[in-house]
Formats: sequence, structure tokens, C-alpha cells
Amino acid sequence: MLVSLLPQTALAIDSQNLPDVREGIVTIKTIDPVKLVGYTVGDVIEREVILTIKAPYALIETSLPITGYEKRYKGQVIGIELKNVSHTKEVNDDSATFDIKLAYQVFTNNVVAKNAALGPEYLNLINTKNSKDLVKYRIPSLDIAISPIAIFGQVKIENNMSDFRGPMLLSDLKEKKRLKVAIAFLAISLLGLLYILGMRAWLPRMGGAFAKAYRALRRLPNTSEGLKSAISKVHESLNATAAMSVFGTNLDEFLVRKPNFVPMKAEIEQFFSLSRHVYFEPNASHNIGSDPLNWLRSFTRRCRDCERGLTPEITAMNTVAQKTGV
Amino acid sequence: MSDRQLADWRIHALNLESEVNKVVVGQKNPIRLITTSIFARGHVLLEGDVGVGKTTLLRAFTRGIGGGYQRIEGTIDLMPNDLVYHTYLGEDGKPHVSPGPLLMSGENLSVFFFNEINRARPQVHSLLLRVMAERSLSAFNTEHYFPHMIVFADRNQVEKEETFEIPSAARDRFMMEIPIVVPNDDAIMEALVFDTKFHNVDALVDTVKPDVLQFDQLNSFSSVLQNSVEASDTLKKYALNLWKATKAPLDYGVKVSGVDMNRLVLSGASPRGMSMMLRAARVNAWMNERTAVLPEDIHAVFHSTVAHRLVFSPIYEMRRTEIAREMLAGIVNAVAAP
Repeated sequence: MLVSLLPQTALAIDSQNLPDVREGIVTIKTIDPVKLVGYTVGDVIEREVILTIKAPYALIETSLPITGYEKRYKGQVIGIELKNVSHTKEVNDDSATFDIKLAYQVFTNNVVAKNAALGPEYLNLINTKNSKDLVKYRIPSLDIAISPIAIFGQVKIENNMSDFRGPMLLSDLKEKKRLKVAIAFLAISLLGLLYILGMRAWLPRMGGAFAKAYRALRRLPNTSEGLKSAISKVHESLNATAAMSVFGTNLDEFLVRKPNFVPMKAEIEQFFSLSRHVYFEPNASHNIGSDPLNWLRSFTRRCRDCERGLTPEITAMNTVAQKTGV
Repeated sequence: MSDRQLADWRIHALNLESEVNKVVVGQKNPIRLITTSIFARGHVLLEGDVGVGKTTLLRAFTRGIGGGYQRIEGTIDLMPNDLVYHTYLGEDGKPHVSPGPLLMSGENLSVFFFNEINRARPQVHSLLLRVMAERSLSAFNTEHYFPHMIVFADRNQVEKEETFEIPSAARDRFMMEIPIVVPNDDAIMEALVFDTKFHNVDALVDTVKPDVLQFDQLNSFSSVLQNSVEASDTLKKYALNLWKATKAPLDYGVKVSGVDMNRLVLSGASPRGMSMMLRAARVNAWMNERTAVLPEDIHAVFHSTVAHRLVFSPIYEMRRTEIAREMLAGIVNAVAAP
């Protein structure tokens, strides 16, 4: 009943004139912000004060700081305002604990750094057994430093260590351009290396002797010179595949070395008869037909299939043979 | 006319082969090579172990070719004049001179068989060089000609005592050196041991049909044959590359295991050797009913016409046979055509 009347009574009390509370009645614990410097206009600084007040004293809650109150020092507005205040209370038989959260906002600045303080705040306590025993308790102030928004005066910008300015950025356009060129060069080199390591073929299976010969044969003209060149290329492919010179007499040895080509034995013999006709014995007959270059292209493609471990299509050869009049 | 002539002679050649194959079994390839050599008009050197049938083989061919046949055994005390004449005391007690093996058959001499040639002295080799190269001999103030003569010689490669290595110049006169080895077919080996027909060599050789060929027409037919069988530009280039490879095998990537290829070859095949190779290749093409030489024809005669002409560094001479075989096989594998 008495406590409930206290606020009205306290209103008329000037905290500054009250005696200080005896030592040991109030214990305080504060949770202060880690950062104590570098504040500027608009910053909100929060502080938590935990007070434990032993009975019979009790806090006159109307003495809690009021939001919006302009703090003054020596009559001058210091530019720190209490933006928000809230508290919780836990009452025990012999004490009461108040958790007061204070939020101050900075409304000042200067061309150079200046000191400022949060608080002090004065709270009034009353002895619940003697209503005339009114005392005050001072929540100690917290010193902070207000930093200027910009450095005052002419300064060399590179020396400005203000964390508001941010680090000086160097232009990296040139380096980025060089990096791109280097990456492009590296990529082209790697592709070139792959091309060389891949036996001058873009895909792993393009580098075979017959794969190359097939590509070459497709470009050759259908003339006697083209035919000679085509036969020569097929010979080269056979030799490269066997790692020796392949002739009609050692064909079986070639097939033992490269069993993939066994299905092609009859066609390889046909090829040798064509080669014999073109290069060595014009009177010799061959059963290739009237378009030997086309037959050779098909033959080379089938050899390429053998080279790749595939089984050549027998029907495809027959079709070509029919087309070429074999 | 020439086509018919070629075909007729081919039949004769195959008959001769067939006849010889009947008495000398398991030697088809040497028989083919000797037939080739006869039609290419080249002298033949047989090389092989003792008792493998070298003499029988040559005697069989001699019977088939026809013409005069003379034979001499190479011994360490054989002198050149032993080839030319004999001196003896006649029944009348007076000294007589009669023609030796070279002169006995006169111009009809078709086969001169020199058995164990490496037992003869270098003086004898020297005389033989001229006879082989020029087919002529000066004796008794007269020039004697042997236009149809082919020298068949054999030598034993195993025995080295009391033998004289045939110099490279003499070896080069032979168109072919043909190795004769024991056939590795069990049935043939068994027949050679147990078949009684092989026990009497004289009777065996007598079974060969005589005079299958007309020896005195072989020269003219050989000319026809050589002119009839073509060699294309590609083939010529191939033969040229083979020749170069015998001189510098390393340039063609040819290697022989365990041999320093930079030091191996002192001299490759001679121009005469390559010419003989092409002559033999042409005959091989003709035997196979071709009108032009193929690389395969060269392969068929390459080893036998070239191997004995190679001159190796002395440190490799003891391994001559195996090194020559590996090197020439490497050359055939390395040189491409076309």
C-alpha cells in the first residue's frame, strides 16, 4: 500500500538532494557495449544495468530515467538522449532485482573526436519501514568517445585511417585484363598440347592411322593421281598399324598382331590386288569394280572401325560393291 | 610368241621342281630358289650342316638340267691346275695330259659342282672367280668358253679346321647362298631315316627325269624372260630403298639385338648383287605367272641373294648367319612400298 503511493510522493523529490544509499544495500552489475569509441550521430548504444536492492529499501520506479530527456552537462545539452528504457523486476523476501535496459542515441558530433558519457542516472530508493527514509543511488556513467564523420581540415586521403572511409582501392583493371589474356593463352596452349598428345586428333579415337587416312581419302579427287595417293595412304595406315611393312605375303602375320582386322582379311587381299594393279602390274586384274576410290573410302572406313575395336558392317561393304559394280 | 614361250618354259621349270622335290623332300623353298637361280643364270652356293642333302640336291638338279656335268671335291691340297688338267703316266709309259673337270665337257658344260668349296685354297677360289664371272678360261694357249655353265658349290659352315673362308669378292659372284636345314616335319624326318629309297643316293638321283630343261637354250630364254617381266617405277624405288638400307640400316630404323648398328655394316649389297636380286625377282614373278615384279617377288629372293654379300665388322662375323637374317628381315619390315 505504501509502495503504491510512492510514485506520487517521489515526483516531488529532487534526487540530487537526497542522501546516498548506504553501502551494501545496492549491488550493481552492468553489461556495457564492447565498443566505446567511434560513435557518431544517429548511433544507438545499449546498456544493461542489473540492480539488486536489499529490503527494506525499494526502488521508486518513477525515478527511472525518462526517455527523450536531454542530458546536460554544466547546463549544456551534451547530445546524448535516452531513446528507450525498459525494465523487469524480480522480488524476493529480502531483496528485489531490477534488470534495466537503457538505449541511448547520439545526437552530436564534432570536427574532432570528443568525449561523452552515458549517464549517470540517479534512482531513488525508499525504506519501506520508514517512509521518510529516502535515499538516492547513482548508476555510474559510461565514458564513450564521439568520432567525427570526416577528418577535419586538409589531410592526405591515403593517411586517413578512419574506418568510415573504407580502404583505398587500387584499380585492378589492367591486371584483370592481363589475367584474362594469360588464361586465354594457357587454355589455347593446353588445347594445343591435348591436340598434339592426342596424335593430332580432337577426340581420342580420331588419332588412329585409318581414321586419319579415311579423312584424307574423303578429300582426294576421283582421278588416277587421287587413287594412287589413296592407295599409298592406306598402305601407310596398314604399316603404321602393324608397326612394319605389310605385304600380301605377311598379311597373316599382320592379322595375328592385330586380330581386330581378321574380318577384313578378304578385303585387305582385294586392296593388295588393287595396289598391285595401280603401282606394279597394270595388266593384273582386280575385282574392285569401276570406282576403286569409292571402294577404298569404304574399305578405309571399315578398317577404321576395326581399329576402334568395332566389328565392321559386312552389309555396308556389299552395298558399296554393288554400287561400284563388283 | 614370247608369251607362249614363257608359258612353255614355266611348265618345264615346274616339272624340274617337281622332279627334284620327289628325291629331296622337305626342301621346297631351297628347290624353288635353285630353280630361280638356274633361270636367272646365277651361280648357287649351298650352306648347311653335314649330311643334310646338299650334294643330293645339286646332283638331282644337275640331272634335270642336262648338259655336261663335272664335279670336284674341295681339299686343302687342291691346286688350280687340278681343275684344268690331269697328268698321268699312260699304259705306254709316257706322260699324258688330259682335260680336267672344267675342260672335260667343253662348251657343253652346264653344271660345275664344287663340293666343299671352303676346303680349297684361295688360289683355287681365285681361278673360280674368273670362271664364274667370265665363263671362260685360258689354258694350253687357248681360250675356253663355258657359256652354259652354272657353278653349284656347297660349304660346311660348322667345321672351321682346314678350311678357307670364301672372300667377299668370291661370295659376291654367287647369285644366291641358300641355307639347307633339316626339315622339322616329323613325317619327313622319319621317311629320311626309315625309307630305304633315301639310303642309296645314286639310285635316288637316277629317279630324276633327265634333261627336263634344254640347257643350251637357257641363256636365250633367260634373256626373253628378263625382258618380258616388267619392273615399275615404284618397284625400282622400292628396290633402291632396300639397297640403301643394306648400306645404312640405322637410317631406316633397323636394329639387331645385341649389335652396335653403327659398327655392324662395313659394306652393303653390291650393285652386282642388287642386279642379281632383280634378275632373280623377275624369275620369281614369272614362276608365279606374273608379268611384272612385285615387292613379294623381291622378298622371295631377298635373303638368299643379299645376305652373303654383306660385309660385317670382323667382331660380328662369327654371328653372321643370325645377324644377317635379323637385319634383312628388319629391312623388309622397315622399307615400305609404295
